Amino acid sequence: MNQTELIEKINFNIIQGRMTAEDEGFDEGLEGQPAVTELIEQAVEAGIDAKIIVLDGLTGAMETVGAKFDKGEYLIPDMLASAECVGAAMDILAPLLADAGVESKGKFVLATVAGDLHDIGKNIVAIMLKGAGFEVLDLGNDVTTGRIVEAVKANNAQFLGLSALLTTTMREMGVVIKALEESGLRDQVRVLIGGAPTSEAFAAEIGADAHCRDAFHAIDLLRQMAA
Amino acid sequence: MIIIGEKINATRKAVKPMILERRETELIELAQNQADAGAAYIDINVGTGTGGREDEVEAIRWAVTTVKAAVAKPICVDSADARVLAAGLAACDGHDAMINSVKADPDYLAEVLPIAARHDVPVICLAMDLEGIPKDVAGRLAACQTIADAAGAHGVPEAHLYFDPLVLPIAADATQAKVTLDTLAAVKDRFPAAKTVMGLSNVSYGLPARAQLNAAFLAMALYAGLDAAIMDPMDSTMRAAALTGTALMGRDRHFRKYSRAFRNA
Ligand code: B12
Repeated sequence: MNQTELIEKINFNIIQGRMTAEDEGFDEGLEGQPAVTELIEQAVEAGIDAKIIVLDGLTGAMETVGAKFDKGEYLIPDMLASAECVGAAMDILAPLLADAGVESKGKFVLATVAGDLHDIGKNIVAIMLKGAGFEVLDLGNDVTTGRIVEAVKANNAQFLGLSALLTTTMREMGVVIKALEESGLRDQVRVLIGGAPTSEAFAAEIGADAHCRDAFHAIDLLRQMAA
Repeated sequence: MIIIGEKINATRKAVKPMILERRETELIELAQNQADAGAAYIDINVGTGTGGREDEVEAIRWAVTTVKAAVAKPICVDSADARVLAAGLAACDGHDAMINSVKADPDYLAEVLPIAARHDVPVICLAMDLEGIPKDVAGRLAACQTIADAAGAHGVPEAHLYFDPLVLPIAADATQAKVTLDTLAAVKDRFPAAKTVMGLSNVSYGLPARAQLNAAFLAMALYAGLDAAIMDPMDSTMRAAALTGTALMGRDRHFRKYSRAFRNA
């Protein structure tokens, strides 16, 4: 199997929601065929760049899953099955994306905002940031504004990353920035936001420092900020 | 849930001539249809009530050989005669199989359990003894214990025992459904490695809208610890009850089977 075929297979199996070979998929009769875990291991062994696997294999597949959910073709468990696959893939890829031994580029607090359970994107960002040399403090998902502000303060963090995937929860990001201002912390910390419904315009509107399309965009922006 | 397809049973009017006249195509079709509908095992019972023991031995050999060659599913050899069971298992010849059934009858256990051990196959164990079906949980559990002890002595592992708590028609005694469910739970508790199995349709005998009772009973039995059912896999009400109960018990990962059956419903 060449690189394109392998990435395509990974993509297909994430959409099918098959984590390991014995798993059933959305479609019938796939049991026994290699699934995401086995294919990612193959890809790593074949020396395919982990960054390419994430961008072409994982992210693209989740977009397809989202579109299917949108059309009503996928149900919540179907979506969760795919999400689990991405989690399993990232467990394998994380050590490859993180080149250890780089000196710390700063403390980075990361959270998915209150009311929002989507953490796949944030988890990828966490891994990429660690790889890029940041000290990441991942607060998890559905994190209250109070806890976020507290963590920034207690750790004297220079960076805060906020994630939201719902149009209803993205507003919470503005609330966090307001709370930082009220606590007198806004000037010590750069706020980066991300997640599908957010945009550059939205970042400007709520007073965030930057909007990131994806994890790699975030690394680029941080590099520019440091320069 | 494991479905054991019950349709190849010579006591059924449509099946009897199929067996007696060795209608190969029809037999294979009946097995295949059940497999397609989700049966994990194909039960074969050739007891037509006509002819002698030798006829039954011949019939089981033919039926097993025929089904085995055409349908890639394990066969559940079903007879109350140890010689028929032995012949059926021998005909399986390595093809996955199961024995249906034994009860707490020491002599019979001594005949059948060695067959199970030799072929390394699971055995359905009825929670009854020589006096019949005990009316209470303690009695049925005692029958199960007798079988489990004998199985241990003959080298049949507990994991190969499929205990059937048995069900009596509730029309005659309304407490019986609960006795069966409580027995299921007690069996699971006492023999954690063993599996449980049941033929459900008896429960509703003599009452109207039987499908409704059977389906509700299946769902309740799944909660009590039922692993397998001997049933008609083509019966859509029962299939729905099996899929629904399994999903509600959290035993259908990502609701794959449930969603596949009903997402366009
Ligand atoms: C997987 C998923 C779920 C899973 C989440 C599992 C998990 N552990 O995360 C489950 C099933 C739980 C779920 C639940 C729900 N979901 Co949902 N879900 C998705 C789905 C399909 C994929 C999201 C995803 O993981 N994408 C892949 C990752 C890699 O991409 P990403 O998150 O965008 O992250 C990247 C970038 O955005 C960026 N980024 C993200 N965050 C950050 C943060 C920083 C700091 C930086 C720098 C960058 C950054 O970098 C990431 C990596 O490159 C999306 C559809 C979609 N296409 O987005 C719907 C979607 C987000 N969900 C949706 C909905 C409606 C829901 C539910 C309300 C469904 C329901 N009816 O119950 C619930 C809400 C639960 C809740 N309270 O949060 C809608 C939202 C619509 C809207 N208008 O808000 C979507 C868009 C689907 C749809 N088309 O309708 N969901």
